[in-house]
Amino acid sequence: MVNDTGQLYTMEGVAAGLIMLLTAYIVISTTSIYTTGDTHIPDMQLEQLGSDVLAMMDTPDKERGENQLVGFIKNDQGDDLRDRFLDNCKMRAGDADADLRAQVYLSYRTSDSVNTIPLSPADESFTRRENTVRVTRWVQLPSGSYSHIPNIETSRPHAVLVEVLLWRA
Amino acid sequence: MLSLDFLAGFTIFLLALIMVVSMVPGLLAGLQSSGIDYDAVAYRTGVILVEDPGWPVNPPWEQYDRDHKDEIQRMGLAVSKDTPNILLSTKVERFFENASTEDPFFTEDDYHNKVIFGDYPYSYNISLSSGNDLWQTGDPLPPGYGYIRRVVKIKEPSVAVINESFKDDYTIPNPSDPKWNSTARNFTVRLDFGHLLNSTVSPAYRIDPRIEPVNVTITDFEDYLNETYYDNATLKNVTFQKAEPDSLPVPLRWLSYSEEEPDLYTLHLNGVSEVSHNLTPNEPVNSSISLVLKPAFMAFMGPNSILDIRFNFEDDPPQTNITGIHHYDYNMTNVTCTDLKTGVLEVAIW
Repeated sequence: MVNDTGQLYTMEGVAAGLIMLLTAYIVISTTSIYTTGDTHIPDMQLEQLGSDVLAMMDTPDKERGENQLVGFIKNDQGDDLRDRFLDNCKMRAGDADADLRAQVYLSYRTSDSVNTIPLSPADESFTRRENTVRVTRWVQLPSGSYSHIPNIETSRPHAVLVEVLLWRA
Repeated sequence: MLSLDFLAGFTIFLLALIMVVSMVPGLLAGLQSSGIDYDAVAYRTGVILVEDPGWPVNPPWEQYDRDHKDEIQRMGLAVSKDTPNILLSTKVERFFENASTEDPFFTEDDYHNKVIFGDYPYSYNISLSSGNDLWQTGDPLPPGYGYIRRVVKIKEPSVAVINESFKDDYTIPNPSDPKWNSTARNFTVRLDFGHLLNSTVSPAYRIDPRIEPVNVTITDFEDYLNETYYDNATLKNVTFQKAEPDSLPVPLRWLSYSEEEPDLYTLHLNGVSEVSHNLTPNEPVNSSISLVLKPAFMAFMGPNSILDIRFNFEDDPPQTNITGIHHYDYNMTNVTCTDLKTGVLEVAIW
């Protein structure tokens, strides 16, 4: 005997499937509260902080005084540069902001290309998956001997780009 | 067949319901952004404080007293708009003046209207720390707030310390010469505004008496005494002369010499900081003289004016042989310019 019972089951199945799919869609679309629009705020705060610190390290404490940033690069003290940079970043009115990490690079033009070298030793905890921000500052190096910076032009003042990767551990 | 119709109708109803419900989170999205807004307000407040000198600038807002503080439109702490992150100590001190007491210079409304802005009455906590110094205003921090941290440097006033190392330069070499037979002795400190306000000097390092105090301290005064006979000399008065490039020097007549005016200057003798004097002290000096001229004192000085501060001593016979002109300038021997101090400014808004 032929009747419409099978068709009924098919329609119920289709309706239930649609309902389940749409329910899943709603659940997914309403629970993703932390959007990409929000993630840039901690990044912006960190980027502003790093940018301020580089600017202040590039500002001598007195007229014709020593420029910390230039001094560290000139004297091959990349490690000290990173430590001083982090010390400044961690300053707060209360306890220091202890979980900041940084990596410093230097970019400069040679006679036929642009070189980038690490100024500070690699951070052992750095996995390259961290949510890092990148802050940079152009610095003018006076003419002189820079044996630790390969192929840099040393006969005249030279603009180099100090680049710092900054992240929270 | 009835159940089939019911199912089709119910499915269409559910689809419509689901579409409506799925739009609701979109309607609420604006409400979710309140936390983000606090960060934005904190950032804006930080930018105003750190990158802006405030308004008005001439005279600068920090020189307004309690009666006129309503005329201040914006409170920024930067030395100038060309020197972001370099803060002026006089602005910092005024901004946080008595902030933690019951009688603060600026009220909550002042902070709302002149630095935080916005219609919403935000709560705030603003702090600046440098070394062991901490300035703070606002309420204790709750859990969850908008925040920004800015690293800055603080510029402090210069000071001219005239000590025994200048003795040979500022002592009369042959007091027995007839031209020195007067009972008066005077010593001058000269400020040449045309030289001080030289635009080749960055505002971060510039000595600008119009926005910072001028501090003249004569120490080791005993070395300038005629020690064979005397252990002090009488400071009769301190006078001022202003000169312009094309005119003769004229005394500052608007200044009261008989009453103390702490908004304009302070004068202390012999290291006694508790007792201040007017400009006619007529007091014996045996160790030090400290004169601080406040920025308000310089209100009538032009960009090329020359101001002479003259310390006049009178005894019969003269008990000091001090003389000469000390230039308040960028020579590090003449004037000590304090190094910029690193600090951190934090703004929390909720």
